[in-house]
Amino acid sequence: MTTDIAAETLKLPSLDYAALAPMLILFGVGCVGVLVEAIAPKKARFPVQLVLAVLGIAASLTAIVLAAGTEKVTAAGAVAVDGPGLFLQGSIAVLGLVALLLISERSLERGGAFVAQAAVTANSEADRDQATRGSGATEVYPLIIFSLGGMMLFAAANDLLTMFVALEVFSLPLYLLCAMARRRRLLSQEAALKYFLLGAFASAFFLFGIALVYGYAGRVDFAGIHAAVLDSPNDIALLYIGLAMVAIGLLFKAALAPFHVWTPDVYQGAPTPVTALMAACTKVAAFGGLLRVLYVAFERSQWDYRPVLGAIAVLTMLVGAVLAVTQTDIKRLLAYSSIANAGYVLVGVLAISKAGLASSLFYLVAYGFSVLAAFGIVTLVRDADGEATHLSRWAGLGRRSPLYATLFTFLLLAFAGIPLTSGFTAKFGVFAAAIEADQTWLVIAGVITSAIIAFPYLRVVVMMWLSEPGESTPAVSLPGALTAAAVTIGAAATLLLGIVPQPLLDMTENAAHFVR
Amino acid sequence: MTTADLLLVALGAVAVGAGVLVVSTRHIVRAGLWLVVNLLAVAGCYLVLAAELVAWVQVLLYVGAVVVLLLFAVMLTRAPIGASDDLDRPRWPGALIGGGAGLGLAALFVSGYRWSRVDLPSPGTATALGEQIFTAWVLPFEVVGVLLLAALIGAIVVSRPDIGSR
Repeated sequence: MTTDIAAETLKLPSLDYAALAPMLILFGVGCVGVLVEAIAPKKARFPVQLVLAVLGIAASLTAIVLAAGTEKVTAAGAVAVDGPGLFLQGSIAVLGLVALLLISERSLERGGAFVAQAAVTANSEADRDQATRGSGATEVYPLIIFSLGGMMLFAAANDLLTMFVALEVFSLPLYLLCAMARRRRLLSQEAALKYFLLGAFASAFFLFGIALVYGYAGRVDFAGIHAAVLDSPNDIALLYIGLAMVAIGLLFKAALAPFHVWTPDVYQGAPTPVTALMAACTKVAAFGGLLRVLYVAFERSQWDYRPVLGAIAVLTMLVGAVLAVTQTDIKRLLAYSSIANAGYVLVGVLAISKAGLASSLFYLVAYGFSVLAAFGIVTLVRDADGEATHLSRWAGLGRRSPLYATLFTFLLLAFAGIPLTSGFTAKFGVFAAAIEADQTWLVIAGVITSAIIAFPYLRVVVMMWLSEPGESTPAVSLPGALTAAAVTIGAAATLLLGIVPQPLLDMTENAAHFVR
Repeated sequence: MTTADLLLVALGAVAVGAGVLVVSTRHIVRAGLWLVVNLLAVAGCYLVLAAELVAWVQVLLYVGAVVVLLLFAVMLTRAPIGASDDLDRPRWPGALIGGGAGLGLAALFVSGYRWSRVDLPSPGTATALGEQIFTAWVLPFEVVGVLLLAALIGAIVVSRPDIGSR
């Protein structure tokens, strides 16, 4: 009886497979990667996984390009395919591909940056043995592909529940990847545990926020919430607290102060290629989600959240810039720089306008390429014990290897926002959008903090070029083809987006329209 | 007040009381057992609200699987069985934050709904839930499968010391 009823009434929602293809391809490739782990002989796994992952991301990117111009909501309202969504998915695919090159580098260290057996007790005899000799883990490939798929779904999710599922899908593999660094295992495990616990906490906030928003609006899809904001008969406090809790979950992922405390520890402890992946792709995905929530679901309460988020943007820029000054480790320095940069993106987001949306999209891509190249160079400066990340070890690097010191100097200048780099174009874009939207106070804070954060960047530059190389200054390893390609792509994009930004600016301008 | 209201209040009180005991007891095993009481009380709330499937899933998964796993973890690691003082932290900050957040949320709900009545939707039977999952929520549901697969792979990667030896 009941089955009859179900068969009669169960009407499957229409799924637009072409529009969902970018994510479905990645999830499928991830599953195939798991099978490869089970079936392929040990020697063949690494090349097979690498080729599979690259082809998968390339296929996904092709599907995104083919879907360009689509504007629709599909899968029973769970996924919105529109300009910003496709642009963000495309950026995640391209940046993910470059990060994958860094992750796959195996010539710098035998077996790559990942340890084969993460469960071996840190600093034990077996652990020291596998640090120098063991082959690397290839399970990282399916995990990374799942994570990228989750990020794409996160940027396109059109209701809060789908968004939550996507958040977990892209976070969980990242927690695991953090624990697998080949060197300094304890630091890596601590980073992973910290990231996992704080991330679980942030997810709980996000989920509770969804419940409160549902209590206010009676819906979880963004169009429904948009209709209910201001019109619902329920108490508006439910909406405010719900939005605040949802925002906490998103701000945590985007590493905005005061929810940034995990960032330096995790960026330092994680294997550097994974740090690069997090700094570039996770940031794109997190801001993609934040943009959609603020622009699509809660647009009509912008007068309420703007001052609060504005204060958070100012705090983030200040914390990132001031604490960057005191850092002595290059990975922590770049972590605080990434926090400050998240603040600048938020300035663009808070313009709540087409220009704000377009400039934030541009900023995310420009920053992603620069940070990938910067972490790529960090993986090259190494001695017998692995990467030399302490700043004192970078003294005199300009004499030892002028090429990489020049590249790194250029990237730091891009982070500081010097003209003729992508950093300048990006910062100009978000500040212009904020002024247009009468958010001048954010721009003033942005300019002041830009001046502060230029100091630590210049200190590194001075250290590299004007100090004599000491006993402990490590040589820069000759990069393998993959790292060389990643650093070249990142640095070239930083230069090109500074000199001829117009094509990408046009692209963001055309993409900047959300479907509701 | 109807019977359902009274039951909800009673079960809620049990859940909150057991929850407080979970974090305040000095015996780690007892904390796990109080968690069972807490989860059962929440399952009871679901039953009163006519969400039968969710209630049974709560009992099966949380009480049956998660807590048992937790107790196994206590048993297999060298955790102390008796009262252990190092489980205790200074209580004031935790009590302040936890109590403050709980009271704040309670005040929010009280001020948000006052005496407004919400009619219960149709009972959460397996049929109704299955229909929802496979129509409106089919994509997130399938993606949860991917999440579980990723978690499975991850668990193997971080826990098996003999992985990759072949």
